[in-house]
Amino acid sequence: MARAGVSGPRHRPAGRDPVADWLAAIAARLTGPANAQVAICDELRDGLLETLERHLARGCSRREATATALAEFGDPDTVAAAFAPELAAVQARRVALGLLSTGPLVGLAWIAAVAANALPPWRLELSGPWLALPLVGLALVVAGAALGLTVAVTGPLGRRLGGWLARRAALPPTAAAVAALAAVVADLTLLTVIGGQTLIGPGPSVWAPVLLAVGASLARGTLAGRALRRCLAARAAVT
Amino acid sequence: MSLRRVVLLPMRAEVLKGHLDGLLLATLAAGPRHGYAVKEALRVGSGGHIDLPTGTVYPALHRLERAGLIRGSWSVVGGRRRRSYQLTPAGRRALNQERSSWQEFSAAVSALLGGTPWPAQA
Repeated sequence: MARAGVSGPRHRPAGRDPVADWLAAIAARLTGPANAQVAICDELRDGLLETLERHLARGCSRREATATALAEFGDPDTVAAAFAPELAAVQARRVALGLLSTGPLVGLAWIAAVAANALPPWRLELSGPWLALPLVGLALVVAGAALGLTVAVTGPLGRRLGGWLARRAALPPTAAAVAALAAVVADLTLLTVIGGQTLIGPGPSVWAPVLLAVGASLARGTLAGRALRRCLAARAAVT
Repeated sequence: MSLRRVVLLPMRAEVLKGHLDGLLLATLAAGPRHGYAVKEALRVGSGGHIDLPTGTVYPALHRLERAGLIRGSWSVVGGRRRRSYQLTPAGRRALNQERSSWQEFSAAVSALLGGTPWPAQA
């Protein structure tokens, strides 16, 4: 995979010089949204080159200036580790906002499907495969709580929690991962229920809203699964 | 020129840690700066006592930006993308708060360690 910030035309491939090697080492250690990684590498590159230029202007040899600039920046492990909590928070917030924005749409699609076909929940009945519906409710409650926590601690409110939150860098990606897992559970449950209803009958008679809801859950479930993996990777980077 | 490592003299790192946000905000009080300029402002402004590893100044700036205390913007300088930061209104309020807290704290510590009265006696 081309790594952020060192694969573009502005960056020389690793191995040419210590600065490029240092940036490549940073890029290899960052975990989080790709555009955030690119931004970090671009920012570090600018700072590193400016440091280098200042040392050259003071009369250092290129080798000396490079070594001094890299020493001032710190070793890649330390710098990447310092970015990890921020990237984990960015990843968690992005996942949370994504789930918050898609959740109501998926919910509305399923309500429309149930209403158009007067399926059991629409008649306030839970029978057959619909007996699993409370699991969806439970997943929504868990997801809602986890999303609320994620958004709260990754926003301006997080600063008010100060050092307490700084010592719990794994909290945002963990909460976001829980929310993503709950979304996957909700989607899988709904897909299983509608599949069971179709198999044991009577199946839906108005298929358009059902297909829309199934498509929405398939898409959201897939994205939530990916988000879950990314949040777990971000969590691993800060623990 | 010899290689330089983290230098926090005579300040202990753990003492600085609780005030890093305020120090970073203070470097931006006069106007926008990019990461390296922030680090240099810390070093020069402290008479060389605070010389952080440059690479760790950037994550702290990102944290402050996410907290809404500073705002970053990109520009192109010498063909390179550069990110500069400036205080937001919330950041300016936070800086004032940090300054007040520090003055109160330093007055108390001065009274205890320096033998001056605290609170100031008329």
